[in-house]
Amino acid sequence: MSTPDTPSAQAGRGISLSRGTIAALFVIAIAVLCRVFENQVTWLVGWPAAWTVPMTDWVGTAVGEFLEFFKPLARRFSWLLSFPMSWAGSLLGGAPWPLVVGLVTALGWKLGGARMAALGFFGLGFVVISGYWSQGMNTLALVAVSVPLAAIMGLAIGVLAYEFPRVKGAVNAVLDVMQTVPTFAYLTPLLVLFGFGPVVGLIASAIYAAPPMARNVLLGLERVDDDIREAAIMSGGTRRQQLFLIELPAAMQQIMVGFNQCLMAALSMVIIAAVIGGFQDIGWEVLLTMRKALFGPAFLAGSVIVIFAVIIDRMSSALALPGQPYDRRVGYGILAATLAVTIWSLIAGWSPNGFAALDGVASWVDEVVGGFTAANGAALDNIKNNAMFYGLLPLRIGLSDAVLPFTWGFQWTEMHTQVFYAFAVAFAGFFAFRSSLTWGLIVLIAAFILETGISQLPWPFVLLGVGALGWVSGGWRLARLVTVLLGLILISGLWDRALLSLYLAGASVFFCAVFGGLLGLWSALSPRAWAVIRPVCDMLQTIPLFVFLIPVLMFFQIGEFSAFLAICMYAIVPMIRYTRHGLISTPDELVEAATASGAGRWQTMVELRAPYAAPTILLGLNQTILYAFAMLVIAALIGTTDLGQSIFLALGQADIGLGITAGAAMAILALVADRLVQGFAEERRQALGL
Amino acid sequence: MKTYLKTGLSTVAMTSALVVGAQAAEMGATGEPIKLAINEWTGQHVTTHVAGEMLKAAGYEVEYVTAGMMNQFQAIADGDIHATLEIWSSNVSDQYGVLKDAGQLEELSDLGLNAREGIAYPAHVEDLCPGLPAWEALKDCAMNFATAETIPMGRLVDYPADWGTPGADRMTGLALPFKAVPAGSEGALIAELRASTEKKSPLLVTFWQPHWAMAAYDVKFIDLPVGEEACFTDPSWGPNPNAINDCDFSPSRIFKAGWPGLKENWPAAHEILVNYQLAVEDQQPMMGAVDVDGRSVEDVVEDWMGANEDKWKPVVDAAIK
Repeated sequence: MSTPDTPSAQAGRGISLSRGTIAALFVIAIAVLCRVFENQVTWLVGWPAAWTVPMTDWVGTAVGEFLEFFKPLARRFSWLLSFPMSWAGSLLGGAPWPLVVGLVTALGWKLGGARMAALGFFGLGFVVISGYWSQGMNTLALVAVSVPLAAIMGLAIGVLAYEFPRVKGAVNAVLDVMQTVPTFAYLTPLLVLFGFGPVVGLIASAIYAAPPMARNVLLGLERVDDDIREAAIMSGGTRRQQLFLIELPAAMQQIMVGFNQCLMAALSMVIIAAVIGGFQDIGWEVLLTMRKALFGPAFLAGSVIVIFAVIIDRMSSALALPGQPYDRRVGYGILAATLAVTIWSLIAGWSPNGFAALDGVASWVDEVVGGFTAANGAALDNIKNNAMFYGLLPLRIGLSDAVLPFTWGFQWTEMHTQVFYAFAVAFAGFFAFRSSLTWGLIVLIAAFILETGISQLPWPFVLLGVGALGWVSGGWRLARLVTVLLGLILISGLWDRALLSLYLAGASVFFCAVFGGLLGLWSALSPRAWAVIRPVCDMLQTIPLFVFLIPVLMFFQIGEFSAFLAICMYAIVPMIRYTRHGLISTPDELVEAATASGAGRWQTMVELRAPYAAPTILLGLNQTILYAFAMLVIAALIGTTDLGQSIFLALGQADIGLGITAGAAMAILALVADRLVQGFAEERRQALGL
Repeated sequence: MKTYLKTGLSTVAMTSALVVGAQAAEMGATGEPIKLAINEWTGQHVTTHVAGEMLKAAGYEVEYVTAGMMNQFQAIADGDIHATLEIWSSNVSDQYGVLKDAGQLEELSDLGLNAREGIAYPAHVEDLCPGLPAWEALKDCAMNFATAETIPMGRLVDYPADWGTPGADRMTGLALPFKAVPAGSEGALIAELRASTEKKSPLLVTFWQPHWAMAAYDVKFIDLPVGEEACFTDPSWGPNPNAINDCDFSPSRIFKAGWPGLKENWPAAHEILVNYQLAVEDQQPMMGAVDVDGRSVEDVVEDWMGANEDKWKPVVDAAIK
């Protein structure tokens, strides 16, 4: 389910100390200017409403006309798609369940022996006894049609980018957009275009699932050995023959990795598309139970998705590995048994819908959550209040507004501001003296942000500050790109909401970076810890995002803290994974050399492994940022007031203009963060000579 | 649970007049299934299944199609869904009005379900704010409802933002020291009610009935000045001389809508759906049987149809005979 690397922006000019320092000095100058003139020049702080352009209206009109124009064609397309849809539906839904379970078990045996067969058997067995069989099969039918669509689309895009290197940059940008614009933002236009029904969910999931395929196809083709390529040229086939007969098969292993990610992405998106309805699938069940705030049943329905995801993931990654033969006789045995049981089930008239064996468990889970809330109400409120008073509120509205007699026990005054900045300057001086001037200046910038609050930062500071960061990370081109993109949000009138999104995502990413990093470190040090953390990570990534919301809501109610927690639960996973992966993949020679020269375990970790892992960890951070923005939209269901809420509002009101504009703003924030981190990662990679 | 349900019921204003005054119509295309929208809440499932069974009794084929409440109207305009039977005027999307005015959607009639919306609280909150349910009591105990995000004001959990901000309007109108926080989703509202009941913590929400949670969490409405027309237009009306909205919610309408081709394609079905009425006293016990007792909607509706033939049979007969 992870997103593969987006290409790094033009990077690698290498930052010198002075470059960071210049940028930091520039940002501080802007901050001082804004602070000095904020009372005289009001437009420095808030962007005047008169200067905004009615972008949502324009987008609404333009997209509306575009949709009307393409509607007949799109309707024809969805009519065509409805055939494979109903075939897959009746095939999977109509097949007796013992047959499906048996076939999957046999397939598991063929792909991975007894372990895989057991996975298939017990996994699908769980689905049967949970009573969600028919909904589950509907979901699978949707995936069964959307994945080939996404895979073909991804293959075509990947081959296109490979064959015509000149369009590669543009293709990558399109793939980024496909992955970062929240699905909810374009559900309404899809609905108008393709008409009501499962086809919309299918297309939405294909849009989301195609990029990983495309990226891996491109990567695989680029990695084909020159020898192989030359041999193909020498044997004198046409270009098409070379591509299809030699190069694509040679890249097959990487392509299968892409296919696996494509499957996982499609599965996760199918659930989100359920908000439209039209198909009695698992996502709809999750939504219904969500609406009643029943954590147990929602979790049970969510587990069905997790099981599908695990089975599909393991079996399709087994496809990517060179196969080893398992005893065919066992396979035939399984098939024969399946056939016998199926016939018996038809005679006896077993129905998969009668089972509800796990309802008791579900309501027990539900009661435990309720009981826990009842027993620990005061403690939970305490946690929330402390986190709000001392963490989130100051970050959002700044210390000068957040420190009140109600919260910190005293009123923040001008004197406090002076003392605060005096301390900040002292710290900055200390850092400048001890490590580098840049770090000292960064302390000052952080102090300014903390005192003002992210949601109240003057817009020139944000725009130029991010631009300066872009300059450090990737040079002038990146600086220009990020400034222009953010400027678009500014004039669209969604700036305030974008700042709120930035604040929530920023707070969560910061938390995930620190705690995810620590958990990753712990997992790297202790295999036993990883044995516990890994399945938790798997579950957090595959369970439908909605399901997290209920326990968080029960414990901490509607509000920013709940949203913050929900985002962290989802976005922390890549940080843990990549940190661990980076730390344990230091080449053995280096570790041995370090040990030989007498370095202890910690010394090796701090001085060798950590710097070596830095690029990987930065990639993890990059993924964490993208995940946080993805979850931000879902978090709107628990009452955030940022761009995510605008997107939901637009979905509810079928307001195409607002939906697309807010979705684009969200994608811009994610893309800007992505490009900045990628730039730094590239710089680290080059510094390490990787 | 059951006793709660009954007390909840008794507070409901009951009306159950069947509007029967039509003559027989053509059956139309009985071979084609009529598609009815199934939205996200149990009450709507009950309403729709009763209507569906009535159509079946008249000799039609019926198909139930799940559809998001907000997104169903485009589907109805396109004829992918033929009718939806429980639209709440309080949270209908702008798109509905647009499509209706363009003639792509036909409003059928009111369902006859008497809904009520208001500012509400779970019963235990009366201990935390003496004087409830009188609204004046809120003036003095606002601080009891305060949370980290709203301090120094009290916190009111309002409807999700896409349903509008009626709670916030009330607080402004009545000059109550409460800050309205949008809930984000119905699930979030219910989770708030549930957590408040479990923790015995203070809570003020914007809520509505019929809803199963009214009974399950013993939710009560605040007494506000009755919402007359003048309240929403004339600032001098009501307790706050300087503001509008200083009163209770105006009663919300619940109505049905359908595809414009419905009447032509299935004239008798159109007539049945137009004349179909369902009262709170009928719907709420069925909702309870589904959500509280865990029975299936089909079973519950079948039982009700068997026991209450007098409430639906005349509508069907009038249309087909």
